[in-house]
Amino acid sequence: MPGKETRYTLWYEETDGQDFNFVGKKNANLGEMIKAGIRVSPGFSITIYANDTFITDTGIKGKIEAYLADLGPVTYETTKRASEYAIGLIEAASIPTAIEEEILSGYRRLCELSGTVDVPVAVRSSGAISMPGQMETYLNIRGERDLIDYVKRCWSSAYNVEAIMYRANKGMGFLFNIGVGIPKMVNSRVSGIIFTINPLNGDPSKISIDASYGLGEAVVSGLVTPDTFLVDKITFDPVKTTMGSKEVQCVYRENGSDIIQVDVPGEMRQRLCVSAEEVGELCRLGKLIEDYYGKAYDIEFGIDADLSFPNNIIILQVRPESVWSKKEVTARTEKRKDPMERILGQLLTGVKLKQ
Amino acid sequence: MAGTTFMDPHDVPVIAGTQGWERMYPYQYQFSKEDPERGAFESSQIWYYDGLHYPEPHYPFDLIWDEAWSLALSQYNTRHFIIPPALGIDHRIVNGYVYITPVGIPDQEVVAKRVPHFLERAGYYYQNWDKLYENWKKKVTALIAELDALEFGELPEMEDISVVTEGVGKGRGFDMLKRYDDLINMGLLNWQYHFEFLNLGYAAYVTFINTTNQIFPGIPISTLTKMVSGIDVVMYKPDSELIRLARLAIKEGFEELFMRPLNAAGLMAELEKSPAGKDWLSEMERARYPWFYISTGTGWYHHHISWNDNLDIPFDAIRMHIRSIKEGKEVGRPTEKLVKERDRIVEEYRKLIKTDDDREAFEQCLAVARTVFPYVEDHLFYIEHWFHSIFWNKVRQIGRILQNSGFIEDVEDIWYLKRDEIKQALWDYCTAWATGVKPRGPSYWPKEITWRKEVYKKFRDWAPPPALGVPPDVVTEPFTIVLWGVTTDVLSEWLKGGGDGEGEQTELKGSPGSSGVVEGRARVLRNVSELSDLKEGEILVATTTSPSWAPAFVKIAGAVTDVGGPMCHAAIVCREYGLPTVVGTGKATHLIKTGDLIRIDGDSGVVTILERI
Repeated sequence: MPGKETRYTLWYEETDGQDFNFVGKKNANLGEMIKAGIRVSPGFSITIYANDTFITDTGIKGKIEAYLADLGPVTYETTKRASEYAIGLIEAASIPTAIEEEILSGYRRLCELSGTVDVPVAVRSSGAISMPGQMETYLNIRGERDLIDYVKRCWSSAYNVEAIMYRANKGMGFLFNIGVGIPKMVNSRVSGIIFTINPLNGDPSKISIDASYGLGEAVVSGLVTPDTFLVDKITFDPVKTTMGSKEVQCVYRENGSDIIQVDVPGEMRQRLCVSAEEVGELCRLGKLIEDYYGKAYDIEFGIDADLSFPNNIIILQVRPESVWSKKEVTARTEKRKDPMERILGQLLTGVKLKQ
Repeated sequence: MAGTTFMDPHDVPVIAGTQGWERMYPYQYQFSKEDPERGAFESSQIWYYDGLHYPEPHYPFDLIWDEAWSLALSQYNTRHFIIPPALGIDHRIVNGYVYITPVGIPDQEVVAKRVPHFLERAGYYYQNWDKLYENWKKKVTALIAELDALEFGELPEMEDISVVTEGVGKGRGFDMLKRYDDLINMGLLNWQYHFEFLNLGYAAYVTFINTTNQIFPGIPISTLTKMVSGIDVVMYKPDSELIRLARLAIKEGFEELFMRPLNAAGLMAELEKSPAGKDWLSEMERARYPWFYISTGTGWYHHHISWNDNLDIPFDAIRMHIRSIKEGKEVGRPTEKLVKERDRIVEEYRKLIKTDDDREAFEQCLAVARTVFPYVEDHLFYIEHWFHSIFWNKVRQIGRILQNSGFIEDVEDIWYLKRDEIKQALWDYCTAWATGVKPRGPSYWPKEITWRKEVYKKFRDWAPPPALGVPPDVVTEPFTIVLWGVTTDVLSEWLKGGGDGEGEQTELKGSPGSSGVVEGRARVLRNVSELSDLKEGEILVATTTSPSWAPAFVKIAGAVTDVGGPMCHAAIVCREYGLPTVVGTGKATHLIKTGDLIRIDGDSGVVTILERI
């Protein structure tokens, strides 16, 4: 097997955070998460080397360089023309057989893993430097022909006007090869959010989970009252479980990538959308992520209907908790001279029976 | 909870056909408006039914322990340790059921004056806890030895010659009367000892619970118990002795013998036949004293017999352990695992504490809770099991004398007499013996006992309401909080269900006793003698349980009780066995029928009846 630098594709689990030069930052981070034990949707990276080989072997690279040499001074107009030229070339070209074969064999393995043909995947750009929002990501891509088509679109998105200007401002060259990530689209039976603290009071000894049917949008944007689980972070004993009404769920439109709302059947609304076993696994992953990053985290997850437990519990996105982490921590107990004074204080307070 | 109250205690109707029941119990136990001031006090208090200790109505004699703890618990709060805001717990009886109420001190000035005394007195106990507790064990075991030595026999036709030759100067009749007083006094002293540490133990435990709740709001009680739980808990010793005997039986090749359908006597006769069998029996004899004095109930009722009273019970349990060991199952408490888990939980919680003040509070409370916990867990064996089991049989010796002399028809009729009435009967018996005449007892007691038995039956069919009177704003009495679990939630739940349409109710709320969710068929058991009905995987529904139901806990999938807080016996033992448990539901044994499909959630404290049989 050749070294990473000359592979066209690399499975997420074959890479780690150090490999961003081969697969781009986003992809490398996913590899790093897997290494830490954090389960992400299964998938692979199309390497930066594959993009480079593509534009070199097809002669696109030479044509662009020649075009740029004749273009004249850099203005918005000339940039726009260069962009159109590069995008046109990339999207019209055929991917060299060796690269295409490797991409398709990766895709076939994902289909097998999910037990379906033409499994929907995402096609995500992943540059070796951060260029937030400059390049494209495509969701719900199905079938081998579309996949190849969208991989080229993704590569070409590095040449849209904004991306070119962004790089120019940073003093970078025109040509820019990127990595592409091909993760399985999470077929979310349930999605939700894990906080590795109690978000209501900042208590670090709890894990809080909000979960509802379908895609995460329903929970994130507050369309539904989700089921909520408050769990002891140390023992995983449930502290408080509240059943939400979960009236609607967000799903992808049949054969499309836009999201629609549909009603949740009554019977499904009247039970918890995640099992005790799944809650346990969500807690384990939440705690793992917190330990890994060394601070409280806010985590989006999905439960994939195509996969079986525990592989169906997929982490979609993680970010540091931002509210309580910024607050100054003050003592929650009163200062007392000694244990006797504490006991006295307790006796004098008693337990209030009337609110 | 504003504006909601329970029935006034004076308004509870007398059950038809029981008029005059009051004479079965002490007069001060009755609700009465005769003194308007006392009547007003009674109406203004919250009285809750102590089903935790008394799942059945009271036998007149058995009320001795209620009176004993009424004195002891209250005196330690009020007069010994001067608990600043809490006096004792007052007691009443309604239709045979005991109702209790915590008595607070409303005057803040009085409370303030009590504070320095409390700090001095309780402080001394907390500081010298281990030394005092060691001394306590000596006192209690000496008392038990004294009790064990006490014997009651028939009075002789003629005193022995030695009363003359040794100039004894007193007779056997007087001795019997004195011995009866001694017996009762030992029982009462036993209960004085019971509360020497318990009030302070609960106060420390409540403080630990509430302090950790300030730092980690909503920390489950099961987590807290895991942090402080002892390892060498005396209450588990009887079961571990059975496991030891089971292993010994396997080692000596007796497992086939134990599987034969023999009762204890039959097995013992077989074992007697070989030297190895004799050795095994002598090992068992060693285990019996004191460990087989564990009661099959809570020890509070005379019919809660101990293993020593019926060896079939421990033999059945040994048989079950042999079977489990052969099947490769884990038997007994996984001590090593519990220690590891306890240390891990404490360590991880420590790491989450973010300020030095909170850290200090946590460490202080944890240390005190760990100091008091061995007593809180272990006292039950000494007092309610070991002492009581011997005590009941001493009273039976007196019952036999009274039966033989025609005062009562059966030994077990003695429980229908108040303890003072037994003393009177013994006077009647002794003076008639001395005088050489016929006593009045045989014509007086049997008909009275027949009437009392009828009354008692009617009491049994009555469902006591969980509470009477008016809920207070605040409860400061530590027992009420920890042991009975009387909190806002519990009271409002009691208020909800108190009356009509109970058949319709399919959900009950109690306190989380032990974590986990389970569904299964219910088995409603009124007492331990029904344990043999229990089938594998059923959910036990009982008014209350005790660790001595140990053989049941390997069979059941979970437990529900009517009464009890996080520290009640059922909750403690179920946490040990990892069984989902809801305690303090108020009325599970009334609402749930054997065979109902129920779900219990030991985390939220909710019990749901899914399907009626």
